[in-house]
Amino acid sequence: MSKRTKIDARGAFCPGPLMELIAALKLIEVGDEVEIWSSDKGSAKDVPEWVAKVGHEMVGVEAMDGYDSIVVRKAK
Amino acid sequence: MTSQPLFILLCSPEHEKIQMAAMMASVGAVSDRAVHVFVSMNAMFAFDKQAADARYKGGAFSALLKEKGAPDAITLFEQGKMLGDLKMYICSMALDVAGWSEDRLVDGLFDDTMGLTKFLSDAEAGQFVTL
Repeated sequence: MSKRTKIDARGAFCPGPLMELIAALKLIEVGDEVEIWSSDKGSAKDVPEWVAKVGHEMVGVEAMDGYDSIVVRKAK
Repeated sequence: MTSQPLFILLCSPEHEKIQMAAMMASVGAVSDRAVHVFVSMNAMFAFDKQAADARYKGGAFSALLKEKGAPDAITLFEQGKMLGDLKMYICSMALDVAGWSEDRLVDGLFDDTMGLTKFLSDAEAGQFVTL
């Protein structure tokens, strides 16, 4: 069963949330997930773009109250 | 498909331009793209390790970046180096003219000194941005 690491990056400005996500992905095992909360309005599009480019897997993006919850699975 | 390397020539001392260079360099480097940054002219003064709080000088947006707590440009460059393929070079001419040595610059940030001719030659293999 995959583990999920949660990061609260609300209040951080671009590219802070992305950099926090990448740092977290470095530390987890393939198949595990990172859930990041970001209030940066660009993250909901920037993160899926980055994930597609580098070859990880998007689990989902969900709009919450004032922020987005973005879940990424480490694929390599 | 492998992305072309990105070459950034940073000459401006303006906070806004240094911030954009740091954002481009860090995001590019963590996106499976080699990034090379060449720092010269007045931009070098922003990397003076003695500058501390006076490091960034700019206009209205610089004030907003500071007020809102946007990521620090030097920290972004450091993250790009730590998490991706980012190389930073200080212009040998700029050091010579200012009478500085590499020891004057922020510790651990620059990979080497370099001349413009070498940087331009390397940049023929990629995309080139000047700030």
